[in-house]
Amino acid sequence: MRHDSPSQDPRPGREREVGRAFVELADTLVDDYDALDLLDRLVTHCVSLLAADAAAILLADPRGELRTVASTSEDAELMDLLQLHAGEGPCLQAYRDAAPISVPDLTTTDRWPAFTAAADATTATVFRSVHSLPLRLRGEAIGALNLLHHQPGSLPPDDLALAQALADVATIGILSERVIRNSGIVAEQLQTALNSRVVVEQAKGILAEHSALDMDQAFERLRAYSRSNNLRLADVARDITTGRIDPTSVTGRHRSSGRG
Amino acid sequence: MTAAVAELVGENVPDELVAERLCRACVEGLDVDGAALSLLTAHPARSTLWATDPVAHRLEDLQFTLNEGACVEAALTGAPVLAADLSHSAETTRWPVFAAAVAEQTPVAALFALPLQWGSVTIGVLDLYRRTPGHLSPASWRDALAAADTAALLLLDRRTRPGSSTEDLPGDADDDRNGDDGWGQGVFAHPEVHQATGMVLAQLGTGAEEALARMRAHAFAERRLLVDVARDVVARRLRFTEEMR
Repeated sequence: MRHDSPSQDPRPGREREVGRAFVELADTLVDDYDALDLLDRLVTHCVSLLAADAAAILLADPRGELRTVASTSEDAELMDLLQLHAGEGPCLQAYRDAAPISVPDLTTTDRWPAFTAAADATTATVFRSVHSLPLRLRGEAIGALNLLHHQPGSLPPDDLALAQALADVATIGILSERVIRNSGIVAEQLQTALNSRVVVEQAKGILAEHSALDMDQAFERLRAYSRSNNLRLADVARDITTGRIDPTSVTGRHRSSGRG
Repeated sequence: MTAAVAELVGENVPDELVAERLCRACVEGLDVDGAALSLLTAHPARSTLWATDPVAHRLEDLQFTLNEGACVEAALTGAPVLAADLSHSAETTRWPVFAAAVAEQTPVAALFALPLQWGSVTIGVLDLYRRTPGHLSPASWRDALAAADTAALLLLDRRTRPGSSTEDLPGDADDDRNGDDGWGQGVFAHPEVHQATGMVLAQLGTGAEEALARMRAHAFAERRLLVDVARDVVARRLRFTEEMR
């Protein structure tokens, strides 16, 4: 939540909401959880707790290149891609410096000319401000959390601190207790999360085609089905791609587009 | 380390050469003594594309025959499997028959199995072994995972590339390579490619590999990039039908 006077309480009842979010995330961590599910829950919480219009989490692959693993919308993902393509931008900076980056107004910054030019040229890009928090691990970053707002403005310090805490939860979630055995596991967990993302994208495509949904709607159905059946997002996605789960049971809609 | 392997992207080389280069690069660049790469097919049968030495070969044979071990587990779960000390009880109870056979027939102490994956498709498994127990260093791990990623990319390229089964296809005058549809390390970073794969898979009622192959064939025929074809599919400007073949 952003406003001009950060000293005033940002939103009544938010404290309770924050508490609930952390309890839910902690619950996820206790169970036999999937990193992708956790990250998806995290970006959703970021949007509601920080009054962001979109949020995304990117992780570095084994080559050190960032890839989006969770996002609340396709638009957020597009912002990530524009930065990756330009080779610069707030989230890349936050990742490289392992430090938070705030961009109150994208239209007035000249720090990343290639990125801002690309963002300008893309009509789908409707975000004016970006806040990127590093996923920190022992002084380095393993990825970044992106918060996107349609309106220009800075997040108040309290919100930034909360965002960083959520980013830290993401890091903890990815590492899990297995990290204690071997630091190589970090790479293993990242690898699994990155590949799960590929399966989720394919499943979104299947649902979108089957029930004439757009990609955001397809993901909504996928997520809702996983949660209501208490299944892992990645497992449901895998079962959709291999035909073990019928798309109709996920979207509640029969094929609505005529075939070829 | 993977540079020698990555340069094979876009080259029309057999799977065995990809596997050989990759396994050799792993043995040279990582603290392991041997490497092997096996393909997984839809059937339980598998085939070892390359093994750097007789011990590595023996490990593959044992896992195929006994149907248990790190490689089998990696193939089933799609997650990397690390057995830093095969004599440790955690591993011997995990794969009792396999661990006993390894101890009896080979000098192998540590085994690391990395699945070569593209989404829900597990293409094969890269097995690395060492004669002394112990984990791979974090840097070695990163390199090993990057090697597995590169191998997956190359083998998937071989399976889905237009005209890969025949001689060189006629190329574009502007292209350095024949059939260049933008396939490379960056392609997996585009969610549209995976989303479109899912859409085409649903349009044709096929598997993911076939759907990707059809999009690449279309990109090739139209002299466009795979990413652009994928975007057209997602935007519903392009549909694939059986008749389009």
